[in-house]
Amino acid sequence: MRNYIVFGRRSTAQLTFALGISLVVVFSLVPAVGILVISFTDIRSLPYLATHWIGLQNYQTFFSAAQIGYNLAALRNTFVFAIAVTVFQNLLALLIAVLLNQRLRGRNVARAVVFLPTILGVTVIGLIFSLIFNPSAGPAARVWAAFGASSAFFGDPKLAMTLVIVVQVWSGIGVAVVIYLAGLQAIPTELYEVANIDGATAWQRLRFVTIPLLAPSVTANTLLCIIGSLQSYQLIYVLTGPINPATQVLSLAIFTQGFGGPQGGTVQSQGYAAAISMVQFVIVAIVSLAALAYLRKRETVL
Amino acid sequence: MTTVPVVAPAALQTHVQLPETAQVGHKRNKPLVIVSYGLMLIVVVIYAYPLLFLINTALKSNTEFLVNPTGLVRSPQLGNFGSAWQQGSFGSYVLNSVLYTLVAAGLGTVMSLMIGFPVARGYVKHPRVWQGLFAAMLFLPNTLVTVFQLALRLGLYDTPLGYILIMASGVGVGPLLVTGYLSSIPREIDEAAAMDGAGYLRYMFTFLPRLMAPVLSTTFILQAIGVWNDIILATILFPTQAKWPVTLGLFAFKGTYTSQWSLLSAATLIVAAPLLVAYLFLQRYLVASVVGGAVKG
Repeated sequence: MRNYIVFGRRSTAQLTFALGISLVVVFSLVPAVGILVISFTDIRSLPYLATHWIGLQNYQTFFSAAQIGYNLAALRNTFVFAIAVTVFQNLLALLIAVLLNQRLRGRNVARAVVFLPTILGVTVIGLIFSLIFNPSAGPAARVWAAFGASSAFFGDPKLAMTLVIVVQVWSGIGVAVVIYLAGLQAIPTELYEVANIDGATAWQRLRFVTIPLLAPSVTANTLLCIIGSLQSYQLIYVLTGPINPATQVLSLAIFTQGFGGPQGGTVQSQGYAAAISMVQFVIVAIVSLAALAYLRKRETVL
Repeated sequence: MTTVPVVAPAALQTHVQLPETAQVGHKRNKPLVIVSYGLMLIVVVIYAYPLLFLINTALKSNTEFLVNPTGLVRSPQLGNFGSAWQQGSFGSYVLNSVLYTLVAAGLGTVMSLMIGFPVARGYVKHPRVWQGLFAAMLFLPNTLVTVFQLALRLGLYDTPLGYILIMASGVGVGPLLVTGYLSSIPREIDEAAAMDGAGYLRYMFTFLPRLMAPVLSTTFILQAIGVWNDIILATILFPTQAKWPVTLGLFAFKGTYTSQWSLLSAATLIVAAPLLVAYLFLQRYLVASVVGGAVKG
């Protein structure tokens, strides 16, 4: 790369660059590094309280007898949520993409409709599904009633997580479908012709041509989904509130500990919330790197 | 999987467009086509039903909802929209959201250009390092707590300016999209413009936006969707109700009118309407933007 500047003095470029990057540094990078720093303090949400350096105490609290039950439950919920969302979203997205890649009338409408939730945002989606699953008069209650059953839906600790997963998959699948569709369209049609000459059935074409050649899209989608679902809590917050134990995930615990709710013994200690952020960060990093390594290896095998 | 009678009309339609079905060079097998239409219908229903049900509920009067909560609306009324608009004071929330979204996404896009362009061209030192930093920025820990503390200590807590600056600096894939796209624009164009006397700023702010319209609009759209739909950061940063964006207004509205579903549905539609309209007209753009951003990430 030639590094000379064609526009006379270099200072203008440097100045505008500095202006842009300083905003990013101040409001994005400093907070990120700051999380690690304040996780060693007892910083509070009120500015006039003194802050002390307390070393690893927040991390000890995280693993302490008083908190570990709650935190393990949150961890378990996080993994249940992330695994279920990743598996179902990818499988269903792949099926829908294969379906909508066929020459069907109205497939463009179908694609548009499937993608719609992506732009609707969690608040609107949350309200739509609160309406559908409202326990007294919603259509889901009707269906349950038809089987002689009733349910509190999001208020039912046994069902809440499942429903949250369903809504998350429903709303997130659009992006995955479009990525798979792009992957499908990149597969040369000659391969299908050859498969046909060899007498392959529809299933065999899917299994031996489509899926192997779709491996890069699978990698992209799976990784996006893992990272996204390990960190996501906005929809859970909107659907079941900040302190519902049945759906408490790690990232929601950060919000709850830092900003609201009478959770645990360390009320409103944002240092503790920062420690949870770091725990989560490490988990996300390990899981996504492991997943990436595995998926890359699989890509070459297929 | 068995064929379902429901799909018969759809199957008839295929007959009409049959002339050239052999997309992949083999004869289409009929039962499979029928099954496909059936499945597609199911998918569309799963996605369209919740939204249609929302509209249906929003059109019901409170009494009609109580008598007949799930059935099709009998006497459609638009009154709910007016009441929701007034009781939820959505007018000011919408204005707030429009302001936050346009300014933050606009600022973020300009920032992406301002930092992406010199890095792509090597007009600043260590372009590789910056490039790596742009990528690393996508994998940061959850910064809710420190963003809050920062706003508090800079006097930006509970100010629209603080919220906008924080939202704008979440540029995400923006700089990467810019540098990626610039690698397809020959450097000679820079040189030609400079030769003709264009300065750096003029080139960056008047020539480049025209050359890079697709990628800059992608950057803008991605960020705009994020800002418009944000609820968490607004919850943390705005104790004053008058400054809330529309998402927070809607969430609070839900807390107040818990079981008045027809009113709530109308409010939800008010918030969703701008997105739905935008989607109707910009669908191609929006899909390309979100997916382009996701894959880059």
